[in-house]
Amino acid sequence: MSTVTSASAPAQAARVSEPRDIGAIVKFVAVLIIALVVVSPLFLLFVASLKPDRFQILADMGSFRAFWVTDPSLQNFKDIATFGGALPFGRYLVNSLIILFCTVLGGVFLNSMAAFVLAWGRLPGRAVVLTGLIGLYIVPQESIVLPLLSLVNKAGLGDSFAAQILPWMASPLYIFLIYQFFIQVPRDIYDAATVDGASPFRIYWSVFLPLSLPVLATVAILLGIETWNQYLWPLMVTQTDHARPISVGIASFFGHDSVYWNSAMAASVMMMLPVLIFYLAFQKWFVSSFISSAVKG
Amino acid sequence: MSSQASPMPGSASPGSGRVEYRRKPLIWGGRLQELGMLLPACILIAIFLLVPFLSSFEIALTNQRLIPRPVPVRFVGLGNFQQILTDPAFWQALWNVTRFTILVLPVQCGFALAIALLLNQKLPFRNFFRGLFFLPAITSMVVVCVIWSTLFQYPTGPFNQIVGFLTFGLVGPIDWLGDPTWAMPSIVLLSAWQAYGFQMIVYLAGLQNIPETLYEAAELDGANAWQRFWHVTMPSLRQTHIFVLIITTIQAFKLFTQVNILTQGGPRGTTDTLVHYMFTAGFVDQRLGLASAVAILLFLIVLVVSLVQRFVVRDRR
Repeated sequence: MSTVTSASAPAQAARVSEPRDIGAIVKFVAVLIIALVVVSPLFLLFVASLKPDRFQILADMGSFRAFWVTDPSLQNFKDIATFGGALPFGRYLVNSLIILFCTVLGGVFLNSMAAFVLAWGRLPGRAVVLTGLIGLYIVPQESIVLPLLSLVNKAGLGDSFAAQILPWMASPLYIFLIYQFFIQVPRDIYDAATVDGASPFRIYWSVFLPLSLPVLATVAILLGIETWNQYLWPLMVTQTDHARPISVGIASFFGHDSVYWNSAMAASVMMMLPVLIFYLAFQKWFVSSFISSAVKG
Repeated sequence: MSSQASPMPGSASPGSGRVEYRRKPLIWGGRLQELGMLLPACILIAIFLLVPFLSSFEIALTNQRLIPRPVPVRFVGLGNFQQILTDPAFWQALWNVTRFTILVLPVQCGFALAIALLLNQKLPFRNFFRGLFFLPAITSMVVVCVIWSTLFQYPTGPFNQIVGFLTFGLVGPIDWLGDPTWAMPSIVLLSAWQAYGFQMIVYLAGLQNIPETLYEAAELDGANAWQRFWHVTMPSLRQTHIFVLIITTIQAFKLFTQVNILTQGGPRGTTDTLVHYMFTAGFVDQRLGLASAVAILLFLIVLVVSLVQRFVVRDRR
């Protein structure tokens, strides 16, 4: 707890001049240790995924052997990275990627287009639409999934990719996020484009879209994470492996008497890796995305 | 048509009111194009959000099944609500999710604030640490469940080893997820670990908005680190606290994934939640009408919490 209290004083270092270096090192080491302890479960996951023996994984978990692997093997991944059989995690991963790609691409496009019209269009009734969208934002996904499931089944869309993509592409929250960005664009930019006689879509496509990459990246990241982590909806809507995403696939390891921990660990790494790679590449964007969703939500 | 030439009205249009020069032929084409740009998103939202939402109010008044039976659907009035509100399992689920919220709020937000304070000082590789501490937040809950169920393993998992070591073997081993006393606290712990990153960066943003001069003034007055924390940092974070508490509360009331995967609402219903109750009623038992009634109650809870947020934030402005 002592680290926490001293943490509240950014200016503290200025007062003590002599032991500052030692203090700084101690502080640094303390933060490092806390960080390593906090993220150690993720480290354990990656280590365990390289152990082919499922009983060994459990036996090691309770000791420091959990932190290293004597003879690393990719056998677990080879066993499950298939497109058929009992654990077709190759297929689940591809399904998840298809759903992710379509949802994010379509979502960014449709939401930004709608936001452009709401911010700069001349259609009558825009204010009503905007108010309606803000009102709908409050409705949680959890409270509509069952009526939606009944609807989707009636439309013959059960167990399909469309049922996992179409419902979550357009979203009041993201329209509103982009809308708030668009209305801050100086009026002169819009005027200049209209004087040139450009059509609304052209203004949107060649003037506003290039200007709004930060907010589009924010929406892509938030929508992407949301889509990747969907669980309740695909759990209900998918009945076969045909369109089942990896989250539901991993959950199916549970509920048996003996869990195949080696396969479950490898599957979890498969689900984690794409996000991790993306996160390492765009870390700054990730964090700022979550902040802007917080400030504006 | 005359409105076309006038400046755009309403708060939605930024900038000063200036006469717009437009050529006539563009007007109709332009309007149609705008309609074509606005409609796709609106139609999707109408079909997949508005219609299910509105129909849930209708379905809740019937005995409709998820997969229709040959028997005609019967109007049952408020029967579903009556059945839910007299079901002890529903009240237990409501109590469980309330208990979860009460437990997870201080754990998750307190931890997030502590880490944010830690990262808000002069520190080498600060961005690296921030990135590291944010990792659990981008980890899917399903993956978190896989990892943590091995950590909670009975009887030789790490948590049991640590507890046994700290108490010289007097306590434990505990079946964390299988013991009615410990199942919910275990769910709280892993949920807080997965989600604290979001609150952490919100607190970090809040901390960076506190003017340095406040700390300098406090220091001149002889305030120590503890006093500066309680009398400068905490009051300055008031808005952030409110926001974080509301967001975390709404998240907490939707608790489902980890419970569905790890405990199925058990043991003895101690981790059953509102969404899990709804899922069981509507999906497992196929009772769509009953589940829709639960969905409406869930919506009302979220609505009330959101309205409280609006009220508190406006009060401050």
